[in-house]
Amino acid sequence: MLQMLKGIKAKNHLESIKYFLRYLLQEKRVDAVLVPKRHPNGRSVSHALITDPLNTEGSDPLAPVQTVNAACILKELTKEPTDKKIAVVLRPCEVRAAIELIKIKQVSDENLYMIGYDCPGVYDAKEYMNIIEKEEDREKFTLKYIEAFLSDKKEEIRESCSYCMYFTADSADINMAWIGLNSSDLVIGVNTEKGKKLINDLETEEISDSSRRKEKIGMISTGRKQIQKDRIDNFLDLIQPCIRCYNCREVCPLCYCKECLLEPEKMGYSSVRYMNRAIKKKQIKMPDDTVLYHLTKINHMGYSCVSCGICEQACPMDIPLGMIYNVFSRKIQALFDYVPGRSRDEELPVTTFREEELSEVEDIQQPRGK
Amino acid sequence: MEKKLKIVGFLCNWCSYAGADLAGISRYQYPANIRIIRVPCSGRVNPLLILKCFQEGADGVLVSGCHPGECHYKEGNYYARRRMLMFKNLLDYFGIDKRRFNMSWVSASEGAKWADIVKKVVEDVMAASQEKTDL
Ligand code: SF4
Ligand code: SF4
Ligand code: FES
Repeated sequence: MLQMLKGIKAKNHLESIKYFLRYLLQEKRVDAVLVPKRHPNGRSVSHALITDPLNTEGSDPLAPVQTVNAACILKELTKEPTDKKIAVVLRPCEVRAAIELIKIKQVSDENLYMIGYDCPGVYDAKEYMNIIEKEEDREKFTLKYIEAFLSDKKEEIRESCSYCMYFTADSADINMAWIGLNSSDLVIGVNTEKGKKLINDLETEEISDSSRRKEKIGMISTGRKQIQKDRIDNFLDLIQPCIRCYNCREVCPLCYCKECLLEPEKMGYSSVRYMNRAIKKKQIKMPDDTVLYHLTKINHMGYSCVSCGICEQACPMDIPLGMIYNVFSRKIQALFDYVPGRSRDEELPVTTFREEELSEVEDIQQPRGK
Repeated sequence: MEKKLKIVGFLCNWCSYAGADLAGISRYQYPANIRIIRVPCSGRVNPLLILKCFQEGADGVLVSGCHPGECHYKEGNYYARRRMLMFKNLLDYFGIDKRRFNMSWVSASEGAKWADIVKKVVEDVMAASQEKTDL
């Protein structure tokens, strides 16, 4: 059930979010807020861990750019226990990644409040920086973008966002909603006990009719489903330019292993062995094992991939990783009816099993579907 | 066999390896295309190992372990089953015919079953597209 926070009156969605964050700090409900913020002269938006309420000015989580998947920041912030409470403002794909990381104990949410929000999609970061350089008022640019989104004007958003099916943060403690709602006041959904606690004595008013929101969300989802790909026919060609620079692994929130078996010193061969392999196979690609790298990566984290597309943004060779990992991971996730980050109570497909299941893999004598 | 297929078999030490051993002692005939690698448990086999086999020119890979419920480490094969299913479902995308990868459960007393499975696997791999992909 959505509710409107009374007492937070604002001109626009961005302002209402800002007021809410300032309020949380002022009232000492949290010790810090983590939020994407514009910087007066910088060309991009970056996350800030804010402790002074006045510093919430310039917060811009709706700016159409994602520089990092913020779930990565949460790993860093919670690697040792602290007693400081932090409200973290996250895009839906970041909430989902964070929940996956909580399940495998790479993020502790003991002192975190996850505040998600409806995501309008983002530009590729470099594109955003080019556009924003020419804009005088950067806050206005964000608002213009939101308006265009609401009036269904097509924006050139990043490909991964263009078919993203999870653009509302329903599994966060609190989600801030604006799609399909008339009000510029702050409307929130409270999804967990923790979320309830955070706003416990705030005056709220229930929004009785959210049918327009449902309709709008349904409409966007249907459109996106249609452009989602289900097959990749030329995977090997698409991957060919890969130089195995490890960028996609570094930025991926789900590639959490401290010791990765894709490390060059683990994957590499001795000089003699390179030669021997080249002789045996007539030729080998160098840097080698680029396909193997991706196949291993997808097998290792595909069940948790949230399709944030940050890997594609980080790829220097412009490989459509967002699409590739989206198609592969949805295929794996469908086998277990698993949606990463949908719920904290769902176990990762690889850390659990049912005794009676999947008889189709186990025996070649049984008829197999192709 | 008309064509010299090479199939790598990862067999768990406690059941399938013993089963294959029994097949040998009992003199069951089965194709010599399979090269056996003994692993502690089917749960030990990670996708990279299988991919490496294909990369180095194997025509097929078979992973075989204890029957569900009988794993020496209690649940290794349940996890393996999930991992291998995921792996198998991606193979097509990589340009590897699904039929080149198989999984089976063979216990220490199932020598005959082992011989039978190898025959079937060889048939399967034979029927599969042998187009080699450069991984
Ligand atoms: S593989 Fe790419 S799209 Fe998937 S979670 Fe990692 S960075 Fe995001
Ligand atoms: S970022 Fe691009 S080039 Fe670098 S390893 Fe990943 S796919 Fe290859
Ligand atoms: S010991 Fe045989 S499958 Fe685990």
